Amino acid sequence: MENTIKVERAILSLTQDDLAKKIGVSRQTINSIEANRYVPSTVLALKLSEVFQKPVNNFFKLSDDD
Amino acid sequence: MEKQNIIECERKGLEKLINFRLPQYFYTIGMLIAGITIAMMFVRAFALEGNTQWLKLILQKTLLIGMLLMSVARDKNEDEMIVKLRMQSYTYAFVVGVIYALVMPYVDYGVSNVLKPEGEAFHDLGDFQVLLFILMIQLLCFHVLKRMR
Repeated sequence: MENTIKVERAILSLTQDDLAKKIGVSRQTINSIEANRYVPSTVLALKLSEVFQKPVNNFFKLSDDD
Repeated sequence: MEKQNIIECERKGLEKLINFRLPQYFYTIGMLIAGITIAMMFVRAFALEGNTQWLKLILQKTLLIGMLLMSVARDKNEDEMIVKLRMQSYTYAFVVGVIYALVMPYVDYGVSNVLKPEGEAFHDLGDFQVLLFILMIQLLCFHVLKRMR
C-alpha cells in the first residue's frame, strides 16, 4: 500500500502533530503511515478522507505486491 | 428481542471484550508493585533468616500481578497502532515462551551436569518461571516495537 498523505498534509499546511490531533491518533502513528510502515484501519482512512476532503483512494493506492 | 438487536448486542459485547484495557495509571501501580516486590525478594534472600518459603511464594505471585498490570494497562497515547503493536508483542511473547518452556529444562540439565559430575536431575520449569519470562518478553517487545514505529 502506498500513500500520498505527506503531500495532502502539505497542501493543507498541517504538521504531523496537527493531523494526528484531528483524527485522534499519536504523531508517531501518522509518521508510520506516511513511511508505509503501518496500514491504517478503514475508520482511520475515512477520518483522513474527511480531513483532506477527498475520497480515500485519492491518497491510498495499492502497490504491486498487494 | 429483535434479530437486529441481538446482533447489535453481541457486537457491542465483543467490542468491549476486545477493547478491554486498564486505565493508564495501572501501569505505574504495576511498576510500583513489581519494584517493591523485587526489593523485598532481595531482602528475603540476603537479610531474613529462618524458613521464609511462604514469603517467597507470596512475592512471586505479587511480582506476576505487578507485571500483569503493566502489561494490561493502556498506553499514554493509545491508538489503533499501539493496539496492533501490543497484540504483536503478545504473539512474540507466547511463541518465545513456549520455546523457552520446551528448551530451557534441557539447557539447565546440560549445564548443571557439565559443571558438576553429579549435576541436578532433570526437571521441568515451574509456572512462575514461565509466566515471568512471558511477561518480561511481552513488555520488552512492546517497548521495542513502540520505539521502532
